[in-house]
Amino acid sequence: MPSILRAANYPSRPINVIVPFATGGYNDRLSRAFAPYLEKELGQPLVIVNKPGAGTQLGNSYALNQPADGYSIMCTSAAPYIPLTVLLQGAPYKVEDFSMLNLPSRDYTLAATSADSPIKTFAEVIEKLKKDPSSLSIGVQPASADYANMVLAMQASEIDPTKLRVVTYDGGGPARNATAGAQVDVGFVGGEGFLPLKTKIRPLAIFAAEKVDWYPSAPLLAESGVKSDFVEGSQRGWAVTTKLKNEQPDIYKFLAGAVERASKNPQAIEALEKQELATTWYGPEASDKAYRDNASKMAKYVALLK
Amino acid sequence: MIDISAFQDALGIMFSSVGSWGWIVPGLIVGLVFSAIPGISITMAMAIVLPMSLYMDFFSAIVFLTSVYTGAGFGGSVPAILMNIPGSPSSFATTFDGYAMSKKGEHNEALGYALFASTICGIGGYLLLLLVVEPLADIVLRIGPLEMFAVAIWGMLLLGSLGSTYISRGLLAAALGILLGTIGMNTAGFTRGTMGIPVLLDGISPIPAMIGLLAAGQLLSLAGRDYIIEAEGSREVSVRRILKGCWGTMKFPGVLLRGSIIGIVIGAVPGVGSSIGNLIAYAETKRTAKDSATFGKGNPKGVVAAESAVASAEGGSMATMLALGIPGGGATAILIAAFMMHNIVPGPSFIETQKPMVYAIILNNIVQAIVLLAVGIGFIYVASNIVKVRTRYVLPAILVIATLGTYAVTGETAGPITLFVFALLGFALQRYQYPVSAVVVGILLGRMLETEFLRSYQLSGGNPLYLFERPGALAIIGVMLLSLGMTAWGKRRQNKAEAEEEAAMLRLQQEDAANRAGSHATKS
Repeated sequence: MPSILRAANYPSRPINVIVPFATGGYNDRLSRAFAPYLEKELGQPLVIVNKPGAGTQLGNSYALNQPADGYSIMCTSAAPYIPLTVLLQGAPYKVEDFSMLNLPSRDYTLAATSADSPIKTFAEVIEKLKKDPSSLSIGVQPASADYANMVLAMQASEIDPTKLRVVTYDGGGPARNATAGAQVDVGFVGGEGFLPLKTKIRPLAIFAAEKVDWYPSAPLLAESGVKSDFVEGSQRGWAVTTKLKNEQPDIYKFLAGAVERASKNPQAIEALEKQELATTWYGPEASDKAYRDNASKMAKYVALLK
Repeated sequence: MIDISAFQDALGIMFSSVGSWGWIVPGLIVGLVFSAIPGISITMAMAIVLPMSLYMDFFSAIVFLTSVYTGAGFGGSVPAILMNIPGSPSSFATTFDGYAMSKKGEHNEALGYALFASTICGIGGYLLLLLVVEPLADIVLRIGPLEMFAVAIWGMLLLGSLGSTYISRGLLAAALGILLGTIGMNTAGFTRGTMGIPVLLDGISPIPAMIGLLAAGQLLSLAGRDYIIEAEGSREVSVRRILKGCWGTMKFPGVLLRGSIIGIVIGAVPGVGSSIGNLIAYAETKRTAKDSATFGKGNPKGVVAAESAVASAEGGSMATMLALGIPGGGATAILIAAFMMHNIVPGPSFIETQKPMVYAIILNNIVQAIVLLAVGIGFIYVASNIVKVRTRYVLPAILVIATLGTYAVTGETAGPITLFVFALLGFALQRYQYPVSAVVVGILLGRMLETEFLRSYQLSGGNPLYLFERPGALAIIGVMLLSLGMTAWGKRRQNKAEAEEEAAMLRLQQEDAANRAGSHATKS
């Protein structure tokens, strides 16, 4: 069927939303909470398909294997997961194989300590580690944006990262628990996930260029006197395969328009805000740029992650 | 401790939304049915009903979802007892004695024991939770990798008590299980044993592997028989005998209490869940029992121990979920998602600001446990009729359902493939008399053992004296050594007594012989 014809009566059946994570995570919740508003714009029901595993590689491969007909879209933490699977796991696809519709949720690495810890500031941490790199234990997820940020901050402060007492966790959740429970002295983890545990931790430095509106009390890295480059953490939201964008430009445009209208729907904004989910409309260009910037920074610092 | 005014408000919530109670029975049935099907886990059952709950008001949704959770906690023990195939990893230890009882024709009683242990400890777990929901949360956060490592070791010690004809084969099987359990990417980011298959990056999916290992041998041994239980007289399904099992549970208050405590504490630890709690509760009960030799041969205490831990683990993981917003396992992760979808974020602030709601949720879980008793007896009655069906009809049906179930768990052919590969492995192990259960325990614990050891090593910087900075870990190891020592001592005493008895017998015989010889001598 020629693409024009297919696009003309699109969509004529339910659309699958591929979430490469298990139920209950941020992307899963985002897709389910946003679905009713997006359904209204698309005129078809959405079916959430969870394909967790291998740091999104399984879900990403699954999405690429679907026909480029607009009946499969993705709701995912595009960055840093897609670049990481390419750079570190040798995934059989390229960063450019995915195109963003909108990435409303942006997360940043937060360095934090337990609420009753004697450590008060990030400068204190750096000072201690300069004297003795093994004086504090550090909880972090290996091969993540947080890990890269940790290493970059240490290098900027002339601390040898190989001498640190690093404790590795296989997800943000366990690393946060370890930080809140003072298992480790300092944790470097995505900041948004800390919100439910807000009262149990003390934020030391957030790796962002400007204050983030969901955690305004967290001091910026720059305020601690450490001048370091950093990688943006998770960028989550709506994506499609680049194949669809190139072969079915009309469908792509239609999808982007629907996501835009739903994102700007005041009811959607109110409903998602209550669940601490983001709806900010950045649009395809800005989202794609953020995603590719993250990928190239990841590629630049890939040696740190290995 | 309990906040009285919040408690009264909680009762208010309970009784002002009586309509929501109507969701308890449907929820329990969904949970029972799904978890009784081998391959479909609690998490699956909850994921399936989650979208439905979005159209209910908050309290009804939570009542419905937690009822599914409560029902599923028990459902897995039905196939474990009747067919030696656990419905979920958390009912693995139930198979040890449950199935042995079935083979003796005591399936009614075994199911009764399991049900009552489940209900009592479910209620007990939640009552305790009512008292300690706040402090427990803080304690849980303090549990570090070294403590967890000690718990994993404790679980592995079970291997010793599982027993097999050859110790060397048991150890070899355990080593194989641990190796299989560590396939995939470890916590430090290293990938092992995946053979380049991306699905294996997350490790072997334990449910299909477990069903493959256990079901293969089981189905083969059943295929040779006409019915699951051979003697015709013992195939009856009788409510009277189920109730007899229920009452029988009350004879073991110590077992119930120990199982509950182990279940709550281990269930509360994020990411561990009830599959390890029930192994440890079983092992501890066996180790301390006077009649430990009859465990695995149909001792009802084994069933009670395993099920009590599963049921109270539910309360434990609910505590971490409510108080910290941290899921203890897959099922509570879905509960958190359900909370969030109703615009409620569990965590410390939720407990502070919404205490009546927290209490109401806990109280409702107690009601569910009571209702489970009635619904459960009905369910057992229906389900145990399977023993009256010829195996030639049952086996293919189980095989098909299990295959579909494993497909559902992984959402792709990886599940059935894992099932098939492990079925072959299970068959080979059984054929050459390697204990299959040692491999299962290895798979369940291997990952935890490695991860927590690695983290303890990283934390301590390789300094073994770190152990003395962690009183919790020291205490766990102390209790473990003490219980081991006591068993060893008890065994020694038992052996001594047996040896003495044997010697006495021998002496008697000799005297007897001498007497006879003497009498012969005088006669002739």
